[in-house]
Amino acid sequence: MELLVCIKQVPDDSVTVTLDPATGGPQLKDITPVVNAFDTYALEMATRFKEANGGSVTVVTIGDEAALTPSLRSCLSVGAEHAYVVTEPAAVSALGKSYLLGKAAGKLAEGPFDVIFCGCESTDTADGQAGVQLAEQLGLPVITNVLELEPKDGGISAKQETEEGYRVVEAPCPCVVTVTKPAYEPRYPSIKSKMAARKMPIGTLSAADAGAEEARVAAAPAKRVVLAAPPQRQSGVKIQEKEAAESVRRAMEMLAGQKLI
Amino acid sequence: MAYLINPEDQDLLDSVREFCEKEIKEQCKEYDVSGEWPAEIYKKAAELGYNGLEVPEEYGGLGLERITVAALMEEFAKADAGFVTTITASNLALKAVLIGGNEEQKQHCCDLLMEGNHGAFCLTEPMAGSDAGNSKTTAVREGDEYVLNGRKCFITNGGVASFYVVTAMTDKSQGVKGMSAFLVEAGTPGLSTGNHENKMGIRTSNTCDVVFEDCRIPASALMGAEGEGYKIAMKTLDMSRTWVGCGAVGIAQRAIDEAVAYGKQRITFGKPILKNQGLQFMIADMEIRVETARQMVAHALKLMDAGLPYSRESAIAKCYAGDIAVQNALDAIQILGGYGYSREYPVEKLLRDAKIFQIYEGTNQIQRMVIGKSVIGKF
Repeated sequence: MELLVCIKQVPDDSVTVTLDPATGGPQLKDITPVVNAFDTYALEMATRFKEANGGSVTVVTIGDEAALTPSLRSCLSVGAEHAYVVTEPAAVSALGKSYLLGKAAGKLAEGPFDVIFCGCESTDTADGQAGVQLAEQLGLPVITNVLELEPKDGGISAKQETEEGYRVVEAPCPCVVTVTKPAYEPRYPSIKSKMAARKMPIGTLSAADAGAEEARVAAAPAKRVVLAAPPQRQSGVKIQEKEAAESVRRAMEMLAGQKLI
Repeated sequence: MAYLINPEDQDLLDSVREFCEKEIKEQCKEYDVSGEWPAEIYKKAAELGYNGLEVPEEYGGLGLERITVAALMEEFAKADAGFVTTITASNLALKAVLIGGNEEQKQHCCDLLMEGNHGAFCLTEPMAGSDAGNSKTTAVREGDEYVLNGRKCFITNGGVASFYVVTAMTDKSQGVKGMSAFLVEAGTPGLSTGNHENKMGIRTSNTCDVVFEDCRIPASALMGAEGEGYKIAMKTLDMSRTWVGCGAVGIAQRAIDEAVAYGKQRITFGKPILKNQGLQFMIADMEIRVETARQMVAHALKLMDAGLPYSRESAIAKCYAGDIAVQNALDAIQILGGYGYSREYPVEKLLRDAKIFQIYEGTNQIQRMVIGKSVIGKF
């Protein structure tokens, strides 16, 4: 099967981001860009799927080629065979990115793709929209929050995470899946695969090459009203009596005092 | 500052650093207590090619520059000095083969390391440490075979190696000129290993006796010619000492990292302790030591790259880096105070780990003899 993984480069999510009081935007200077964690899970799942069932893995992203090259090389060192950048036009909305990815997917030499993988959300804006919007653009079925994936009857069978646990969902190919944290970690690149990735080509195509209309790329039905930091969590009350029964009694008193029970 | 490596290799450093952070640093604390050899961690590292960093390109290696390998080794050492000792010891055995072996032997050992196996260099004996020429292990030629008998001790990777470089006397009457070197495969009948040493530090590295009892090896296992073993061993140690220095630099750097992280958040008398000039001076001295040691390692590697003599510089790098690793670990403990003395914090381990760097691969007294003689010359 031919597999496509859509990736996004985001600021390292292990660093706490603060808002710049001057601009109101996030302070991202000096924060290392990395591949979105959920996209790394998607790439690992696609790579394992390829290793078990054959095929190849292509990664695609949108933005500045030079800025994205390290992230794409990193993907090439952990399982992807091909990598592409869709060079970003002047204005692109969140919805426009899904549109652009959909258009680009149809133009890549490795296509048509049987399964298109996306992370279930990005760790920066966490909209969780790209995968479902992409499926909508392409008129394909989509399975969200996938934990495991295997081929079945020419299509796929996916274990989908739900609030209660999980369920198994099947879809014909081609289709889109959005991947959540599976039971495994993405693999580390070996020294050899890192060095080999340096020599692998990275393809580029513009929005025009992809056949995307500029107006649709820029169209933004959703508008950001304000960017605000979440309020700092108030420190709680610690109940740590010697006896459990005494702790419960104190907790009940406090809840009753707040008229919660 | 860190080693000046080829910018292209920065991504290798980043991925090794990530591996060290996620897979070695915390995990090794438990193994430091138990003394168990962390096979699972070494297996993961081997799969990523960390055992074969020094394998030359012509034998299937990746052709990494020495300075890049040094930067990667420093990361291993920062995470856990036992880990870097295991990797360095395999490369020590490899160096001996590359110096004294024939093409077939070289290719064989390079393949083993590229496949993720380990090697061991067996020179030290109970009565032949610094006085390596006083070896009691013998190799007697019988037809197309040599028969090895003797006991090697303190052998890093002794219990986990796939190949052993072993020195043994083929002609005792010739003194060190009667010593020869052999390449012995793991599993050869007559080769056995003793108990894993219960060491003060570098507890994630395997150290044990390697015993030869009528161990028959083919005559083709001889490296170079009979009588060349001591020369091969000394050349090997000349080269490997720089890499031991590189590991010591990693410990010394970790000591700074831990001391600075702690000193910024530890408040006494209403301010972080690193606001005190007295402690700033301590940090400065630690930095001066680590930087000079690192640059000495880099200089010795540069001499190797240029094909120039490097014995003295290699000895200086090892001796100085070993000494300053101990001093930096001591200073880090002092800065952390009572917490530094506690096993709940990472710096007491640095001291236990650092100490061996003044002892193995030639004690620092032997290094000073090498350095002193090279300066004074014959007179």
